[in-house]
Amino acid sequence: MKTCLIVDDSRVVRMVARRFFEGWGFDTREAADGAEALDACAIAMPDVILLDWNMPRMTGIEVLRQLRSWPRGTTPKVIFCTTQTDPAHIAAAIKAGADEYIMKPFDAEILERKLVEVGLIATVDA
Amino acid sequence: MAQEPPPNLVDAFPGLAVTPLETNMDDLLREFLTETTESLDVADVELVKFERDPNNREILNNIFRLVHTIKGTCGFIGLTRLAALAHAAETLMDKFRDGIPVTQEAVSLVLVTIDRVKLILGDIEASEGQEPQGSDADLIDQLLAMATQPVAVEAPIAAPAADPVSLVPAPIRTEAAPTGGKLIQTLERELLPGEVSLDELERVFRETPVETPQAKVPAGPAGAPAPARRGDDDASPTSSIAAQSIRVNVGTLEHLMTMVSELVLTRNQLLEIARRNEDHDYKVALQRLSNVTGELQDAIMRTRMQPIGNAWQKLPRIVRDLAQELGKQVELEMLGSETELDRQVLDQIKDPLTHMVRNSADHGLEMPEDRRRAGKPEKGMIRLSAYHEGGFVIVKISDDGKGLDIARIKAKALENGLADEAELAKMSETQLFRFIFHPGFSTAAKVTSVSGRGVGMDVVRSNIEAIGGTVDVQSRAGSGSTFVIKIPLTLAIMPALIVEVSGERCAVPQNAVLELVRIQPNSEHAVRRLKDAPVLCLRNRLLPIVHLGRVLGLVPEQSEDTFDTGLIAVMQVGNESFGIVVDSVSHTEEIVVKPMASVLRQVTLVSGSTILGDGHVIMIVDPNGLAQHVAARSESLAGQAAENGQANAEAEDAPVSLLLFRAGSQEIKAVPLSLVTRLEELDRTRIEQVDGRAVIQYRGRLIPVVRADGDTGYEKTGVQPMLVFSDDSRVMGLAVDEIVDIVESRLDLELASASAHALGGAIIDGRATEILDVSHFLHLAFVDEPETDRNAAGGRRHLLLVDDSAFFRELIQPVLRGRGYAVTACGSAREALERLASDRRYDAIVSDVEMPDMDGFRFAEAVRGDLGMTRVPIIALATANPGLAIQRGRAAGFTDCVAKFDRPGLISALQEFACAAEGEAA
Repeated sequence: MKTCLIVDDSRVVRMVARRFFEGWGFDTREAADGAEALDACAIAMPDVILLDWNMPRMTGIEVLRQLRSWPRGTTPKVIFCTTQTDPAHIAAAIKAGADEYIMKPFDAEILERKLVEVGLIATVDA
Repeated sequence: MAQEPPPNLVDAFPGLAVTPLETNMDDLLREFLTETTESLDVADVELVKFERDPNNREILNNIFRLVHTIKGTCGFIGLTRLAALAHAAETLMDKFRDGIPVTQEAVSLVLVTIDRVKLILGDIEASEGQEPQGSDADLIDQLLAMATQPVAVEAPIAAPAADPVSLVPAPIRTEAAPTGGKLIQTLERELLPGEVSLDELERVFRETPVETPQAKVPAGPAGAPAPARRGDDDASPTSSIAAQSIRVNVGTLEHLMTMVSELVLTRNQLLEIARRNEDHDYKVALQRLSNVTGELQDAIMRTRMQPIGNAWQKLPRIVRDLAQELGKQVELEMLGSETELDRQVLDQIKDPLTHMVRNSADHGLEMPEDRRRAGKPEKGMIRLSAYHEGGFVIVKISDDGKGLDIARIKAKALENGLADEAELAKMSETQLFRFIFHPGFSTAAKVTSVSGRGVGMDVVRSNIEAIGGTVDVQSRAGSGSTFVIKIPLTLAIMPALIVEVSGERCAVPQNAVLELVRIQPNSEHAVRRLKDAPVLCLRNRLLPIVHLGRVLGLVPEQSEDTFDTGLIAVMQVGNESFGIVVDSVSHTEEIVVKPMASVLRQVTLVSGSTILGDGHVIMIVDPNGLAQHVAARSESLAGQAAENGQANAEAEDAPVSLLLFRAGSQEIKAVPLSLVTRLEELDRTRIEQVDGRAVIQYRGRLIPVVRADGDTGYEKTGVQPMLVFSDDSRVMGLAVDEIVDIVESRLDLELASASAHALGGAIIDGRATEILDVSHFLHLAFVDEPETDRNAAGGRRHLLLVDDSAFFRELIQPVLRGRGYAVTACGSAREALERLASDRRYDAIVSDVEMPDMDGFRFAEAVRGDLGMTRVPIIALATANPGLAIQRGRAAGFTDCVAKFDRPGLISALQEFACAAEGEAA
């Protein structure tokens, strides 16, 4: 079973995302801030991380930078998740090592497409 | 863990791709409402902090993130109205981060926005998910206008206006055509100002070079690489950091609580059986069951505990808005917000607390200019503190404002018919303060929109008493008031003492019981009578006691209370200490409280019932009700004492020498030794009758003699012990039966006496002792003598006496009056200054040096400086180190300094200075 880590300080966002991921058969874990996310990765590296940008304690970009510097930190696909519509911001996320980005709010269709793009879901049912 | 084919989404989640959130919408909505409300509460607090500290990036980031999260989650629920509003607020917050100045208006605007969001949330909750109709254009316009203030702000990379495409109003939803092509996320709404089109973002995303070497360039759908290989690092795939705490429905917890309550009852039943059968095999198992039940109960209790900070969260915002509205400056300090208490209790005190804090800000604190005039910082302080004490949580709300206005309370009490003039005159300050808890009682001079409608403190009190708590107030004119709330940690299960009285058993909540004392006649633990009231002397305190059977109506009306046997449970309720007499105490038990049936609610002495282990249903005595009963009884006694001028039974800490004697009965009586000039034993034949009054020749003059027991006749023979009082020219003898001793003792004047000749009671050597009022006897002895006839200069001289000790004021006033002065007594320097401000015609001021709040030195400086009264003599009364006091005192403006108990010194100083100062006073 593929594993997924949902990182967001909002329970609502985690709840929504968890439903989607579990619908696609992912084993899903959650983290409420950046530090928790890194702890979770240290315990078990997930296949994909849905990573919020703006969180208490540590921003998504900091999490990403740290994670990518770890020996096994490059394995997870990271989908960066934000409401920030600032291009510079997106650029910073990509530079830090994000594989995809997604705008909040997202729906299942968009998220699924992103997963296909990072290669975690083979095809999308028509 | 082989590759699984991707599950068929449509099968797994019918309709998911189209309307993804329809399933379990309720759950999500509820979660959204809870989360957003929490975020808003935090945002409120943070914003108030931010306003004071606008340069704090951390606070700003916190607020930004909260608003941002609200905006982000609104979208998932499809709440476009909320999202738009949150976006506008976020835009402004973002500008703050860019450095536009944070004005009070801007913060107010964001706060108003938060209020609007709350309003909309309320509607959504009420309508179960429907966003209310309406427009927030007004707020959004204001927010955006403020955000675009002409301050040099770096333009975003792609300014919205520069990109006409992004302003295309129609939703540009690309047809979801998953034919191997790209699915581009779309916004189904117009772009908000400050947003960039998704196309633009997509372009940035695709064009950004990736620097991390290992990170893959986003690949097309066709070139999907194999998923990363799994290692042993997924050993615990189900572990979730976020899942270390879970949210549980309150209903579930309540149910658990009920079940545990039942378990406790069953355990109690088993223990009761075990008590009756000594030998049995299951004792060990039972003991274990008992322990586990106890632990289970603790654990469940803990799940119900919440920090009191949850109830305080809204206060900074409320205080801030209020301060702005009233034009005051208010600092709110909160200490001990992590103190935990039962959720149910917390809910109950939330509103009372809010009300009290509003009251402090509105009525307690003065306007900045008034504060400055009173020598205080312009910014008023409200301090909330909470801590655990025994099974209680103590919450204090104090302010450094003007204190309760006694005069207004009196006027209001008269107006509402709660008491008449005579009753008011007898009441102590504490009793007067309690009027504020009466229904319809508001002392605010004018009704503000905030408070002052008189529906406040009585509701506060009844709310707090409904959960077995107490509320009390302490106040000092000029320096502020403190409300003390004492509430039980929990309501459901509590330890109680099972007592027996007149053949009935009752439960007495253990957290109100300080100790148990066995009554032993002829020992230090005997019940004595002070006048007609039974009292217990316990370690130098006098406690009023009541017979529990009597107050509960379990003994016949006409029977006489005897206090020869039994136990006294010493209770403490609020500031009230008293004892209740019971026949015996059987054991302590964790009782499960069953509320009273509504028909029995008016029975104030009983708070509920419980089922004992043996199946009996018994009443739970309400300590609050008992305290009120006791207070009502002792107030009538205290009221009479006030007639003697002893209005304020403050404790006097310094020990005083007392002369003990007997007169009329076996009871020991006392007078302060400092008032006694000599002790004499005279031959009774020397007592003569002149004009129907007893006199003796004493040191060459004729002095009146009065009997301390009130009689007038004298034996013809034998020796008559006598105390001689004198204040220079007036000398009298007080005839007593026997002089017993001289002791050093603290005077507490705890229980006021009912008679005119006594100041009150005190404990001396463990015994209740009446302290006689010397002025009463002076008055008796010189009944016909005009008080001023010895003042040759004519005209009564007026003195202002300032001393924080009620006892000392009472002690010195008769002496001064006896010397022909008219005396106005004040309990504090501030009170004295107020009096002087309105009436300067005093011939001299006599002031204590050591006083709380404003001491004698500062008082003298204020009189000389602020009031400009340069000539009125001020005589200092010093207790410690008079030398130093004289030195400092002269600099501060004292005319002279005498030791506190040196009455002749004071009299001669007054004679010297008060007469010399005639010019100014007239």
